[in-house]
Amino acid sequence: MFAAPVSYSVRLPEFIRTTTFRWTLLGSGVFALCILLMFGLVYWQTAAYIVARVDTTIARDADAIARDSPERWHEAIEERLRQDPRRVRLAGLFGVDGHLIAGNLESLPEQLLVDGEPQNVSVVRIDARGREEQTVRAVGRRLRNGEILVLGRNVDELSEIAAIVERALVMGLIPALCLGLVAGAFLSLRAQNRVEEVNKKVRRIVAGELRERLPTQGLNDPFDKLAVIVNGMLDEIETLIHGIAGVGDDIAHDLRTPLTRVRVSLERGRENAQTLQELRAVVDQAIGGLDQSLAIITALLRIAEIEQSRRLEGFSDVALTDVVREVGDLYEPIAEDKRITLKVAAEVEATVRGDRDLLFEAVANLVDNAVKFTPEGGAVELSLVRLGGESVVRVRDSGPGISAGERDIVARRFYRSDKSRHTLGLGLGLSLVTAIVKLHGFGFAISSGPGCVAEIFCSRAQL
Amino acid sequence: MARVLLIEDDRETATEIMAELVERGFEVDWAATGIDGLDKARSGDPNVMIVDRLLPGMDGLTIIEALRKGDVRTPVLVLSALGAIDDRVRGLRSGGDDYLTKPFAIVELIARIEALLRRPVDSRETTLKVGPLELDLLTRTARRADRVIDLLPREFRLLEYMMRRKDQLLTRAMLFEEVWNYKFVPQTNLVDVHMGRLRHKVDNPNEPPMIHNVRGAGFILRAPS
Repeated sequence: MFAAPVSYSVRLPEFIRTTTFRWTLLGSGVFALCILLMFGLVYWQTAAYIVARVDTTIARDADAIARDSPERWHEAIEERLRQDPRRVRLAGLFGVDGHLIAGNLESLPEQLLVDGEPQNVSVVRIDARGREEQTVRAVGRRLRNGEILVLGRNVDELSEIAAIVERALVMGLIPALCLGLVAGAFLSLRAQNRVEEVNKKVRRIVAGELRERLPTQGLNDPFDKLAVIVNGMLDEIETLIHGIAGVGDDIAHDLRTPLTRVRVSLERGRENAQTLQELRAVVDQAIGGLDQSLAIITALLRIAEIEQSRRLEGFSDVALTDVVREVGDLYEPIAEDKRITLKVAAEVEATVRGDRDLLFEAVANLVDNAVKFTPEGGAVELSLVRLGGESVVRVRDSGPGISAGERDIVARRFYRSDKSRHTLGLGLGLSLVTAIVKLHGFGFAISSGPGCVAEIFCSRAQL
Repeated sequence: MARVLLIEDDRETATEIMAELVERGFEVDWAATGIDGLDKARSGDPNVMIVDRLLPGMDGLTIIEALRKGDVRTPVLVLSALGAIDDRVRGLRSGGDDYLTKPFAIVELIARIEALLRRPVDSRETTLKVGPLELDLLTRTARRADRVIDLLPREFRLLEYMMRRKDQLLTRAMLFEEVWNYKFVPQTNLVDVHMGRLRHKVDNPNEPPMIHNVRGAGFILRAPS
């Protein structure tokens, strides 16, 4: 029977699996490697320097002794060994047959190349303290009488240096590595916590808590910077959503009024109408009410459409002069019917970049309003003038004008807070104009002359 | 008898439209889905089609495009709850001949169907005649019998449009779109005022009227009987 293979997986803590922690780990590894290389280099350089110095010294001393007179050799060796409180010097004078004549070496080292460069050899040191085997740097010279001079020096300090370097490494590197790991874990946990915090907030926002914002800690770190940007975006979204909700309320309100009328008249008609004619009258009234509701919906959707329009790329050169003349032509009979003088003055040739249909609609709306609100016998003037570098379409009427309060509403927020939208004429008409003007990057102003003066400032530079 | 194919997924709307069309002497076939509609359009050889813009299975515009690719030239009226100008442009670009936004007055729908069925008088004509009314497109002059009618350019354009579509109900929206080429809904009774002017010039008080106002619907130009 075979046991089914079991696979074990060790699940690492979350923070270890984060990118931050992995990067820290990698950084620490690279750091440790650099330190190791650096210490190695220091040791290697130091060792090479010490060995070279020892080599130079023993070779020079050996040559000096060899050059000396034979009767001085013995004494020179004795002298050399006497001045060695640290017991690092080695010397030996060996006879032609290899026996020791003077010095502290037990025998002539076998591997030593006589008259060669200084080299590592194993020797046995003998002195008053006894016998000791050592590996030293040594050099051999054959003297004039055939005897061999060996000078050496113990370089045990090399291993001492190696030990020191090792200790320094252990004492420095391991804590540094540990510190690195701890820092990595800390950063990783911190980042993870921030992400988790943001995640929580985002979930709340998604769930409809539009007032929630991402947390900032005032540290000006990337997280904070990002949070500030996102919060700005959330502000904008909140405003827009409230705007939409406001528009929704307004639509509901504007629609309920005519729809209520429709409902009531239908109900009453069903109960009370005696003849087919009466019933038809009721139905006609109801259809009128429905049409009014539909007109409001159409106009509101139209405003939304223009506001959201990204049709700048579809813009072309529009002869404003023609637009103004055509609007004049369109409204002339309407004005005449109301015994209003409609004067059109478009002598200036002006071309702007825009959407011809929309610009026509805007100007037509202004004239429509002017004609509607000017009493019989009044005058409306539609003109195209040039002011500075701008072409200005101006509609001036001799109507009652617009009160300061109304003008404020119009200037502040054309249609969102404007309750005049119940009358299809004023509110929505101006709202449309504003939306169109905004889309073009033009300016719009309403002021009181005598009467009311509405102006669209069409500047090429703004596009 | 003109055959109409109605492709509309909303049963109630479809029933109402069908009832109205049948009452007016049309032969109506109905398809509730795009695929069914495409089949019926290919096999049934309708004279005119009414196609809803958004349909289950296949988009209304896709149907029109498929038909046009297959060289089916049946005039199409696109119905849509999407009223934006861009949607309208898209509808006409994919091969629709007219576009009507929901909700619509039934009379508007009928008027547009009639308009699609009766293609206007050949545009190469240089003189248009309806009864005693005569319009010379070259000299830009109009006369009713012996009486010369002095028309402004905009009135001339309006009369020309109506004479090309005599005996047809022309709704205000149709006139505004076609004669003035404007795509927005005017708030004032613009069309009525312009029409009033024209009527005043065309129909003298002592003459039988030719321009008729159809209450709640639009206008018809008719030769006096």
